[in-house]
Amino acid sequence: RLSIKTALGENAYVWNDNEMFLFRATLAFAMTKQFDGQVSDIIVCNQTARVSFWFVVTYPHNKTLVDKQVVERAVRKSRNRINSAFLLSDTTLEFIGIPPTLATPVNPSTPTWLIVFGVVMGAVCAGIIVVLVVSLVQRKRKKNETNEDTQVKTVENGAARDGVYYMSFSEDESSVTQM
Amino acid sequence: MEKGARPNWDNPMQFLLACISYAVGLGNVWRFPYLCQMHGGGGFLIPYLLMLFLEGMPLFYLELAIGQRMRLGSIGAWTAISPYLGGVGLAGVVTSLYLCLYYNIINAWSFWYLFHSFQSALPWADCPINSNRTGPVEECEMATPTQYFFYRETLDISSSIEENGDIHTGQALCLLLAWVITYLFIIRGIKSTGKVVYFTATFPYVVLFIYLIRGITLHGAINGVKYMFTPKMEQLANPTTWINAATQIFFSLGLGFGSLIAFASYNQYNNNIEFQAIIVSLINSGTSIFASFVTFAIYGFKATINYENCLERTRLLLLNAFNLAEDSVTIDSVFEWIEKLNTTYPQQFDIIANKLENCDLESELNTAVEGTGLAFIVYSEAIKYMPLPQLWSVLYFIMLLLLGLGSMLGNITAIITPLQDFKVASRMSNELFSGLVCLFCLLLGLGFTTSSGNYWFTMFNDYGATLSLLVVVLIEVITVSYIYGIKRFEKDIEDMLGHRPNWYWKIMWAGTSPLLLIVLLISYIINYIQGGAPTYQAWNIELGRSVVMEYPIFGQVFIGLLLVSSISCIPITALYVYCKKRNDGNHHKRQYSISTVCV
Repeated sequence: RLSIKTALGENAYVWNDNEMFLFRATLAFAMTKQFDGQVSDIIVCNQTARVSFWFVVTYPHNKTLVDKQVVERAVRKSRNRINSAFLLSDTTLEFIGIPPTLATPVNPSTPTWLIVFGVVMGAVCAGIIVVLVVSLVQRKRKKNETNEDTQVKTVENGAARDGVYYMSFSEDESSVTQM
Repeated sequence: MEKGARPNWDNPMQFLLACISYAVGLGNVWRFPYLCQMHGGGGFLIPYLLMLFLEGMPLFYLELAIGQRMRLGSIGAWTAISPYLGGVGLAGVVTSLYLCLYYNIINAWSFWYLFHSFQSALPWADCPINSNRTGPVEECEMATPTQYFFYRETLDISSSIEENGDIHTGQALCLLLAWVITYLFIIRGIKSTGKVVYFTATFPYVVLFIYLIRGITLHGAINGVKYMFTPKMEQLANPTTWINAATQIFFSLGLGFGSLIAFASYNQYNNNIEFQAIIVSLINSGTSIFASFVTFAIYGFKATINYENCLERTRLLLLNAFNLAEDSVTIDSVFEWIEKLNTTYPQQFDIIANKLENCDLESELNTAVEGTGLAFIVYSEAIKYMPLPQLWSVLYFIMLLLLGLGSMLGNITAIITPLQDFKVASRMSNELFSGLVCLFCLLLGLGFTTSSGNYWFTMFNDYGATLSLLVVVLIEVITVSYIYGIKRFEKDIEDMLGHRPNWYWKIMWAGTSPLLLIVLLISYIINYIQGGAPTYQAWNIELGRSVVMEYPIFGQVFIGLLLVSSISCIPITALYVYCKKRNDGNHHKRQYSISTVCV
């Protein structure tokens, strides 16, 4: 069964006897590959406007029919060549009974998501380490400052306006309340 | 004694943005559109806005005022209001703990989806192929690829809550990342939180706006928007509509956890919280409406695409069965052809009759979904049909992340702030204490990454923070109005803001809000009792869809534990304080009698 208009849209070619001849020739090619040189006969019948038809294959010299399994195997082997002869694909050129072999999924060695995860995780951990180190350094620096500073406490009215953490104030508090 | 001056927000804008970032969360995106659809579209706005004024704004203002006045976390603040009611704050902390445990899992899922968007073909666009390469995996065929990706590849879900499995390493890694980022945001307390909220509060709006433009230009979006906004006024007669509106307002604003009290406790004493409360509540509701507009545009698009796919499949079926030429049946004429073929070739038609699907746009639109199903399944299905899906996927999941992380900030602050008011924690540095809390929640949260983890998540989501919050806020509002006294509260506010709250606020606090909360509480309890045994949706591998199952005994016991553990903090603390006071009182009486004897 062929779905030419679905596959090619505007570039669709008209199905006529020439195309049918090509089909029979392509199928003969597939069978030849199977039987190694002996060209068999392809007989087509029941053509419809859908562009679908039945076909049978006969052995080259006697008129006996070739087994369905053999034909299927041959078609499977040369599926790609048959498809490209008609500019179609597995879904638009259907052989009823022969399921299309689907492409193997591409599996990269490291899943992509792990790479992105690694990048983000690394950035965040770096951020945390930076913040921790900065606050540790600030704390050490303030400790050294309060040991040298005089005990002048400047407290503004109400809560601190700019939210500065008055470490010097708290250090004094702890030294006073520890009894 | 505290370790020095209490840190403050750098400016009132940070506080405002923090409240917005906390209140505007995932519920605005995935719960409100569902409610809107269930309860009559545009008509739902009436009860919703009414409840906003009757209960949302007053309760929000109340919590902010308490925090700003007492300048302590929830436990300290309530102990200051009445020593017996410190348990109210403790209940808030326990509920926040439960929320923190399970909420970051959603962020982990968002991360998972975000990282998986960086591929040429989105992994939830098509079914993976089975081992013999003959077709798609069976489970995926019966369900849809997006459902398969969520239930199998993201969650690796088991068939019921009883079947446990291993921890999903990908999920565990994403959860670790979520907690590490949360830690980074709160590492310096509100100094770091204050800077982060500039981004977490504003960027989601950018994304929503971009999605709005993208959404309304999508094919078929107008169907969804029309469907949502055509008001079905008869729904207003249904009491469930009003109750759901009230519940949505209540939970959407994040009341009762203690986060608002914690945030407000870092304010300047005379910060104008009245104005801010009004603004934040309005922005929260506005965002819900805005987000549902976007959601319904996307819904309409998805429904239209599904409908057209259905028609296409039917068309192919007709073409193949009757061997007609390819261009004889177009999508628009499918229905005519069905009629024609049914009359002209009835026997042949009967053969394919059972394969014929019923393509109906209305029924596609009717599939209303809420919660994680909407966010991760429906939306990702819509995204895969858009042109350049990777970009839209990345944008969308970043938005979900920001909404979720923004709410997490509030919840974690609700735990850390009250605990830091105690001597035990204040001896440690901020960073160490926050780190310990995050680590604790991470380790417990790993339980949600197991195969049955999603079922436990649903249990926590449905029961962990619902009834307890209603009780907590009800007691809060009754305490302030009647035990502390509205007059005293008025004076406090006048002290802070310079003017008394007008009659609207007082009526709401003393009358309407408590009444509404009592009604909500009663309706919740009735629902629990009438609903029989609690049930959950389990994913069935063979059928490829969710089935309803009852919780086993241990599950029901656990639900009971969840509910009782937070609510019982209130009476237990009251009892403890009462006993302590009595013992102290006896102790003092004895001392007093000795001294008089000595004199």
